[in-house]
Amino acid sequence: MAKANEGLMALSGSLANAVEAGGESTVTVNARRRFAASGVATGKDLILTASHVVEDEENITVILGDGSELSAELLGRDPHSDLALLRLSEAKAKAAEVAKGKAQVGQIAMALGRPTSEGVQASLGIVSAIGGPTYGRHGGLLEAHLRTDAVPFPGFSGGPMVDVEGKVLGINTSGGGRGHSLTIPIATALKVAASLEEHGGVKRGFLGIRSQMVELPESSQKALGREQISGLLLAGIEKGSPAASSDLMVGDIVVGFNKQATANYDELLALLNGEVVGKATAVEILRGGNVESVDVTIGAREVQESRGRHSGHHRGRRRWRGHWGWGQRR
Amino acid sequence: MAGTLGLGAATLISQISQSLSGQFSELLSEVRQSLVVVQAKSFGAGAGIIWDENGLVLTNKHVVGRKHSARVVLSDDRQVDARVLASDPEIDLALLQVADVDLTAARIGDSTKLRTGNLVFTLGHPWGRRNASTLGVISHLSTARTRGKRGLIPIIRTDAQLAPGNSGGPLLNAAGEVIGINTMVVNGNQGVAVPSSVALDFVEQVEKREGASVGFA
Repeated sequence: MAKANEGLMALSGSLANAVEAGGESTVTVNARRRFAASGVATGKDLILTASHVVEDEENITVILGDGSELSAELLGRDPHSDLALLRLSEAKAKAAEVAKGKAQVGQIAMALGRPTSEGVQASLGIVSAIGGPTYGRHGGLLEAHLRTDAVPFPGFSGGPMVDVEGKVLGINTSGGGRGHSLTIPIATALKVAASLEEHGGVKRGFLGIRSQMVELPESSQKALGREQISGLLLAGIEKGSPAASSDLMVGDIVVGFNKQATANYDELLALLNGEVVGKATAVEILRGGNVESVDVTIGAREVQESRGRHSGHHRGRRRWRGHWGWGQRR
Repeated sequence: MAGTLGLGAATLISQISQSLSGQFSELLSEVRQSLVVVQAKSFGAGAGIIWDENGLVLTNKHVVGRKHSARVVLSDDRQVDARVLASDPEIDLALLQVADVDLTAARIGDSTKLRTGNLVFTLGHPWGRRNASTLGVISHLSTARTRGKRGLIPIIRTDAQLAPGNSGGPLLNAAGEVIGINTMVVNGNQGVAVPSSVALDFVEQVEKREGASVGFA
């Protein structure tokens, strides 16, 4: 019998090895009142974690895999992707190894966390879906996300999703804020981290329009000179927004942005990235059946009070939050 | 050339996962012979595991409650009466003695050698479904403070799904050895098991106290 299940025992051992390897770079992030969360060392002094677990920006401590406790400062946060980057007071962390190649549906994955001093914790699953683009907590667009059936136990937020070798596939967040957990693919997370390290944030463009997807008649497509079956009809323009101070009008159909076609809202949002912020950018529209171009100086999308929103203690009194019940945090 | 290599690798991998799956079901059918149903209270039942061939069955204290006797249903549907030899609410374990019948005892593993991430599986009767199994890993090897004289005891936390009816059933390692007794669910869906080291201690104490009576009830 012992010989017959060699394979299972080997798998069991290699999963434990993976937890050990990935666990060395999985840290405790102490930056909220009740329950500590997790983080991943992406450099000797850099810790990537979830933005929503960093509530107290002034007193952040990080406990490494070897038990040493260090103070850390917040380099920046991106509430849209729910990621935050911390810098340790000493370069003592062990940087995580990143999985090569993209995650695949069906791949065995483990969520790791270190919310207590009792060592690393793990939960097994498979990559159930690779999705994206998705809207994040504050309406920003996430280019991709992973979904797994590994159970995110309390305090797992900010920790890594690792493969069977303990290499990082992504960062676990409670993105979406709709109760389910998302994993940000590591490639995307590292891009965000690079921007956080350099600029302290991730810029996203802001136009200030309300729009509705509409079908384009053949005549319009002819005028455009390309096959584009839909565009965005402007249904409203926000007062004081970049769109309001441009020549855009309600009733225009936005068909392109920055020389690229925008057949739907997601495509427009994807083009409204940090690179266009502050720049006069050409918005291609259909007005009265004619193709026109309007220059809009793109603003930056603000996030209001990202701190207070997730932390009950910032509110004076508990407020009724509609029929969805009290806000829960993970 | 590369194509042949790729095909070879794919076949090998599919062979490995097929053999893993086969090993898993073989292991389950072996351990199932030692899994029992324990009925003690007026409604509801738990699981239990045949601890040795002399008729000792280990289950949770909360499965037998304050009863002194219980009915044990073996894996081949034979029903036998059992006497509650001892129960300890502090670690939620109870030891039962069944009338002398043919029994297949489970193999007991060493829970002190476990590592976080090790593959585990459960056996039990969740929601009354007989002999159901779930798979997971050791999520956390932690400790818990008991309400009695023991103080801190080690506990095993797992992400393998547990439900009412799993209580008293075994948590098994990849070798099919009992490494814990599934006891409760915390944090919504995290299973907690009392490790086999604590269970072995408990059984040893009871055997010492009961002396020769154990095995000859």
